Amino acid sequence: MGRLVLRRLVATVPVLLLVTAGVFALIHLTPGDPIDAMMAESVDATVKATLRRQLGLDQPIHVQYAVWMGRLLQGDLGRSIRNQEPVIENVRRRIRPSLQLAAFAMVISLVVAFPVGILSAARRNTPVDRINTTFALFGIYMPNFLIALLLIFLFGVTLRWLPISGYVDPFEEPLDGLRSLLLPAITLGLALAAVITRTLRSSMLEALAEDYVRTARAKGLSEGRVIRGHVLKNALIPVVTVLGLQLGTLIGGAVITEYVFALPGVGRLVVDAVFARDYPLVQGVILLIAVGFILSNLLVDLLYGWIDPRIRYR
Amino acid sequence: MASTERSLDTRAISRRVFLWSCATGASALAPVVRFGPHGAPMALAQPAGAPKKGGTLRVGFYIEAATMDPHLSGSKIDRQVYHNIYEPLVVLDTKLGIKPGLAESWQQPDAKTLIMKLRPGVKFHDGTDFNAEAVKFNFNRMKTEPKSVRKNEVASIESVEVLDPYTIKLNLRRPDAALLATLTDRAGMMVSPKVIQERGSELERNAKGAGTGPFQFAEWIKDDHILLKRNDTYWNKQGGPYLDQIRYRPIPDDTVKLQSLQAGEIHVMDYVQPRDVAAVKADKNLVVVDVPSLADFSYQLNHTKPPFQTKALRQALAYALDLQQIVKGVWLNVGVPANGPIPPTSWAYDSTIPPIKRDLAKAKAKLAEGGRPTGFSFTLTTPNLPINVQEAEVIQAQLGEVGITMKIKLVDAATQLSEGNNKNFEMISYQWSGRPDPDGNTFQFFKTSPGTSLNWSGISNPQIDALLDKTREVSSQPERKKLFSELTKILQDELPMVFIIHPIEPKAFSPRVQGYEAIPDGMMRFKDVWLK
Repeated sequence: MGRLVLRRLVATVPVLLLVTAGVFALIHLTPGDPIDAMMAESVDATVKATLRRQLGLDQPIHVQYAVWMGRLLQGDLGRSIRNQEPVIENVRRRIRPSLQLAAFAMVISLVVAFPVGILSAARRNTPVDRINTTFALFGIYMPNFLIALLLIFLFGVTLRWLPISGYVDPFEEPLDGLRSLLLPAITLGLALAAVITRTLRSSMLEALAEDYVRTARAKGLSEGRVIRGHVLKNALIPVVTVLGLQLGTLIGGAVITEYVFALPGVGRLVVDAVFARDYPLVQGVILLIAVGFILSNLLVDLLYGWIDPRIRYR
Repeated sequence: MASTERSLDTRAISRRVFLWSCATGASALAPVVRFGPHGAPMALAQPAGAPKKGGTLRVGFYIEAATMDPHLSGSKIDRQVYHNIYEPLVVLDTKLGIKPGLAESWQQPDAKTLIMKLRPGVKFHDGTDFNAEAVKFNFNRMKTEPKSVRKNEVASIESVEVLDPYTIKLNLRRPDAALLATLTDRAGMMVSPKVIQERGSELERNAKGAGTGPFQFAEWIKDDHILLKRNDTYWNKQGGPYLDQIRYRPIPDDTVKLQSLQAGEIHVMDYVQPRDVAAVKADKNLVVVDVPSLADFSYQLNHTKPPFQTKALRQALAYALDLQQIVKGVWLNVGVPANGPIPPTSWAYDSTIPPIKRDLAKAKAKLAEGGRPTGFSFTLTTPNLPINVQEAEVIQAQLGEVGITMKIKLVDAATQLSEGNNKNFEMISYQWSGRPDPDGNTFQFFKTSPGTSLNWSGISNPQIDALLDKTREVSSQPERKKLFSELTKILQDELPMVFIIHPIEPKAFSPRVQGYEAIPDGMMRFKDVWLK
């Protein structure tokens, strides 16, 4: 196990190198410049030139990359050009809402997806299944922003049960915090629930057709025990894969949801940084998101072994 | 009124004796401002009953502030907060006249000297005195701090002398008729020297004790809110501040911001999109204030390369445009068609000059004159925002009618700035927020300037240059107005830009908000605002 983790971590190094080089090249090749973006209404060329020199932006791009890499190897992600604070501090502030939102959305999606998915598979091709499939399609194809605006309109403006936007840390004020995250978590959770429902249904149908299920039934086990004891566990692997992939997306890619609900998350941080051409911030955050993706995939691989002991790693 | 204006004419203008008197007299003496088609800025109706102290005013903004240091600030949103924490030496009234602020009175013994009498008894929030030394310190910082974004604005100030503890003398490098108007904003805002000396670098994030204004900085939780609280020892005992606190929150999505206002989560919304104006006005639970702006939304035409280096083709483009249709169809009449860079809110606006009228026959004649009788094609660079895209599509259709083919290239703001600065465009959108003095809407755009400047079109015209220089040297307002009229006419002929609209910037309020007075610079000053 330890060796597996180590080997996987070593294998991520070239991936991360490619990610950093790619992001560096892309953001620097995009027209525009952080100093112009920051001082749109000022034309003082000397001030701008001084700032560019101070920040090393007048150097050729490969030199800038080397300098950035050198600092990175010493554990320094640099400072945001726009707010002068260390990149890591920017991320630290933004990661909390993102993680909380991701966790909350995931809980909601699991609570919805498991009963719906199981029911669909068990009652295959009945009206119940068809309703559930429609729900899943709805969740997959409804754009996030539309669900978000509808939820806001219903629960925020009309019923006034929940706050419309903004963020309160649930670890500081549990009730207000959960209330502030509920609508965005439902928005993200519904889409995720739809994906999980579909995956769970199809992998369960596959498992239901296996010989051991026929055997279990022949033994006289109740259908409930067959599903709980035999089918579900064997159907979990694809679901865990989907969850692992979605976790990364939820943390770094919930841009639209964060934007609509004015949540200060990592997704908006990246997008705002791109618009401001805040090079160090873009590079640093994307690197961290990439690390997050790799770790969540690693976690999924380890979970495989736990769920299905037949999968052995050497 | 007319007599006031005339009496000012005769006297003012021999600027050598141009003397503004102090607080009481100043409003009577302030230049008479003529108002544009959409009338005077509105204020929230005053209800019966006296203002009430207390409460937290919650304000929704589209974006988070960038810095709390007015000398380093380059973003419009910062100014919204500053105008409640900091105070400039002079302030604007609702008609863009200049009134005493931290300076009680001022005089100009000659064109290159400005002497200001400062208000005694004013303290910064950190308890230190506001005085002439503080003013000198502030100007020096704006001029010398490497990261100062104010350098250009105070460039005409050669040196600052302290005459006595409450009198300063600004020695100017050259006559600068626009200087007083410049000092109504960030360049005139005074920051506590003690705060700068003791924790200058921290000021960007924490403005505790730094200002003299009706509210003081309390906290800024990044990405969440900025909190100001009432300054109970504010020097001006007339009126407010009434509010206990002001809480600013960024809500990036316009629809959600409007819904937050409807649900009562915020009391004030900084800007209502034209598409929402009708609905908001119809909502009895909201109050809309139309604030005519100083802005000038236009397209710069690149004079340094084809097709628009040919004057006749620029004119063909201008004659093919139907501004009425754009203002009505795209902007839903939340603004007026522009005749040039100077907005109707300005004293320098000349209502006798009509915007260029659509004339397809003339457009075709100009195409022939420019050697392209069957039309030509070019690319428009414009921001990828809904209203800009709509406007581009309408323009595309209008130009198509005379055979001009316009391709649309959508970019983000940073790309737009870079393409503009590098003159890498044929026609490019430019939305200028505007400045109280017409100089701010003209000089930097049309004066011949090598290298990077806001003169993206690359226009270089000796007649325009001479006019622009003259507008800075002459201090008589009527005379300056004549010069700006002349300039506007030349601009309509030379067309460094096609001018589209002077937008209105509607702001929406909860009916609980009382006592708000709108000033056309769009900044929200909450000193006299209270909650019902």
